Amino acid sequence: MATVQQLSTKHVLGIKYLTEADIRLIFETAQSFKEVINRPIKKVPSLRDVTVANLFFENSTRTRISFELAEKRLSADVVNFSASSSSVKKGETLLDTVNNILAMKVDMVVMRHPAPGAHHFLAKHIDANIINAGDGTHEHPTQALLDAFSMQEKVGDLAGKHIAIFGDILHSRVALSNIFCLNKLGAKVRVCGPPTLIPKHIRSLGVDVSHDVWDTLQWCDVANILRIQLERQDIKYFPSLREYGQYFGINRALLDSLGKPIVVMHPGPINRGVEIASDVADSGHSIILQQVENGVAVRMAVLYLLAAAR
Amino acid sequence: MDLLIRNAHIVAPGEDLHGEEKDLLIRDGYIAAIGENLPSAPGLEELSYKGQCASIGWVDIGAQVGDPGLEHRETLHTAGAAAAAGGFTAVAALPNTQPVIDDKSGVQYISKNAYGKLVQFLPIGAITQGCKGLDITEMIDMQRAGAVAFSDGEKPLQHAGVMLRALEYVKAFGGLVINQPLDKLVSHGGQVHEGRVSTAMGLAGVPAIAEEIMVRRDLHLLEYAESRLHLANLSTAGAVQMVREAKSRGLQVTASVSIMNLVYDETAVADFDSNFKVMPPLRRAEDRAALLAGVKDGTIDIISAHHVPLEEEVKKLEFSYADFGVTGLETLYALSRTYLSDWLDAETLVQALAYNPRKLFGLPVPHIAVGQPAELTIFHPDMEWVYERGRVRSRSLNSPVLGQRLKGRPLGVINNNQFFSALA
Repeated sequence: MATVQQLSTKHVLGIKYLTEADIRLIFETAQSFKEVINRPIKKVPSLRDVTVANLFFENSTRTRISFELAEKRLSADVVNFSASSSSVKKGETLLDTVNNILAMKVDMVVMRHPAPGAHHFLAKHIDANIINAGDGTHEHPTQALLDAFSMQEKVGDLAGKHIAIFGDILHSRVALSNIFCLNKLGAKVRVCGPPTLIPKHIRSLGVDVSHDVWDTLQWCDVANILRIQLERQDIKYFPSLREYGQYFGINRALLDSLGKPIVVMHPGPINRGVEIASDVADSGHSIILQQVENGVAVRMAVLYLLAAAR
Repeated sequence: MDLLIRNAHIVAPGEDLHGEEKDLLIRDGYIAAIGENLPSAPGLEELSYKGQCASIGWVDIGAQVGDPGLEHRETLHTAGAAAAAGGFTAVAALPNTQPVIDDKSGVQYISKNAYGKLVQFLPIGAITQGCKGLDITEMIDMQRAGAVAFSDGEKPLQHAGVMLRALEYVKAFGGLVINQPLDKLVSHGGQVHEGRVSTAMGLAGVPAIAEEIMVRRDLHLLEYAESRLHLANLSTAGAVQMVREAKSRGLQVTASVSIMNLVYDETAVADFDSNFKVMPPLRRAEDRAALLAGVKDGTIDIISAHHVPLEEEVKKLEFSYADFGVTGLETLYALSRTYLSDWLDAETLVQALAYNPRKLFGLPVPHIAVGQPAELTIFHPDMEWVYERGRVRSRSLNSPVLGQRLKGRPLGVINNNQFFSALA
């Protein structure tokens, strides 16, 4: 049971900047919201009169919809903005864009941006609460929160549990946020993938490294499989998707050979047949769709807690 | 110009007056008298801050002066004012202007300018046309027109064959090649030092080997060509060690370090503050210690301000979109005193700022003696001041210490019968 009833921070810029107590408070709050969204009437008035702007400078489907649903179920007023339909293409700077939106009296900003640290930059210059919905290869805190929340539902308290993260660690904000979050909750974390997709200094964050998929599956209680981020790879880090799928992808035969059940997760969108085979994604091992459901509850919790402290 | 400098602690390693406290009388631009309790005279201006020091004028070996073509960042006038305020009487201008300084007329444009005769500009000609790294420039022509050295400045020379030919070609006139070592295929898009901090920030890193591979390459090429090379702005412990070994084997190599890399380490960028985004990047505490040790044992000859003025449109941005570089001419000395006072004595500093740069470029060395022309920097090691926005003489404000209280201050420079007071 958490002892604080308020987050230690005004913004959620990354898991790095949250305390363990913050994370547990978010989970506890998310648990109650999960009950709410399974009621016939899914809406509560907690964020009435709060205006939230969803600013997406990078493509997103599930995260954007998940945030929007969370905001609407809390009765917030919501405005959406995406880079493709905006003046960013006309050369406006981030600060100008955001200041213009804030001039219309927005209280909270949910932002996705391709530049690592873009939210820090913004936090220095504007007054609204900022929630990071992904900043380049840095962090994606609400994804890590919903991942850990979903893991806990399946395997109980994460202290001492073995969690493996597979795939493109180098270009993944989900991996970094997961590592920070799982470490704070006491789990043991291992990353696994081709050496060219694992940052050389990743061990300094307190994780193990392996390049052996079978061995890592054998070791872990939960396998979090990341998407190959082809759009972030401007040079070749591995020779072909075919070879990647063959040597680093996870398929049913591999899972069956383990002789033990494990939980399989994926933050989506999945590349079927590359990092994860369809017979795994659609299997009983997989909790991919529960993750999506929990995403709404966790984001409601984050929005609620930040608004409550305003 | 007449001026009486009272009780100045003289920092002039190797000279008779070194370490003594004297009054210096400057008359008509010459040192007219040196002594104790020299008489005041009506109308004779006096500079008498207790604890002040005097040395020969300082020289920076590579600043971006913005002129021609980038005058929104800096002009020769503002660069000169910034240099004078920072205690410099000469500044070598990097060729990365628009157009690039890669021919005789470009060199002449820089060398004919001076800041009120106080600050001399020393043109560095490009090694390759347009600093594109491919075809070597008319270096003999540029040298005759006043170029003091050849470098592609902020653009490390990637092509080993071009580097080799440049090192060989300058031997025709005893010239000097300067390279800031970085293999760009290895550093590939790196924003900060690759290590613990870059990993936690999710930023692409510049591994130390990106620099070290090129230092090793350049030293091999130098040995083969039997020429002269200056490696500018080293940042890694490995690079310092390679230069140390090369010097002990008798290669004609010298090295410099940017004040930023001496003062800060990788942790300075952890908050995504683009005013710590520099190239070479701020590296590990161990690298910083090795750089300081390199300055102390003479492996690193020169400390540079590595002055890179930038407008806020390219600096006040998301970290990975911001350009590399910070201003440094006005704050080098104060940074050294504020952060390195336990490490760096006045003698080492003056050696690295005044004597070694002149040796590098083959410039005459002024002496502090009666009858000599006065080319002096007066500075105070303990005076506190704030580098305030209103006081900035550079045209750009991209400094990590803007608005910060600092210790140690240049008081003024004297050169060519003129006196510039930094306190005015």
